[in-house]
Amino acid sequence: MSEPFHRTPDSVVVDLPTEVRTWLVGLATDAGAEVVEVGGPTNRRLLGPIDLTADHDDPLLELQRQMAVEGPLNVLVATAMATEISEDEAEQWIRALQMVLAAAAARFGLRTEDDVDGLSREDHGAITTIQAIMSLLMDALDS
Amino acid sequence: MAEQDTDVFGSTSTTQALDVPWDVILWNDPVTLISLVVRVIRKVFGYSKEKAEMLTMTVHHEGKAVVWSGDKETAAAYCVALHGYALGATIQPGT
Repeated sequence: MSEPFHRTPDSVVVDLPTEVRTWLVGLATDAGAEVVEVGGPTNRRLLGPIDLTADHDDPLLELQRQMAVEGPLNVLVATAMATEISEDEAEQWIRALQMVLAAAAARFGLRTEDDVDGLSREDHGAITTIQAIMSLLMDALDS
Repeated sequence: MAEQDTDVFGSTSTTQALDVPWDVILWNDPVTLISLVVRVIRKVFGYSKEKAEMLTMTVHHEGKAVVWSGDKETAAAYCVALHGYALGATIQPGT
């Protein structure tokens, strides 16, 4: 099996099966929906207060953070079927995949590695697959 | 030694209080790749690979690490940058 990501001088060639791309779109879409669910675990994990000594964060900071979370997820959804993505889009993929992982950790209440090991085979497999894709993409991008 | 001022309402403040550094705390997460944390720390703070790896292992083994200290505004900006990679980070006055 060939490497799923191949670096060119100014882009990254993506050679992922269509079903994997479709799966990633679904994960990013679900994570995006969970992020805006105020009070939900993913919302608290990704957009919870950064200053624990204050009653609430600066509204401008909150807006910046919301954009910082939603932007990469939107880029992944928009470019998931592309055969070649720019370096910046590849970086957004890494951010988005990490947000998908963080959303899963929040959804399942994962706090320790034992918690991860206690997941169902399917959920554990999903997390390790996302980690593997991220790792391969980082290797390609940083090569 | 801090200078002490009293405002018109009689409350006391010190220049030292204003100068207290704020820490950026990076928290451990069981699903985050160590390689990603090293990469993000290097990218956000411009640290060497060795320093980024040391901080990452502190987070991994101790649950958290102070990854930067300084003025509050910059600390908040760094925290937002870390959140851009979905890393758990908060700011708090340094000790």
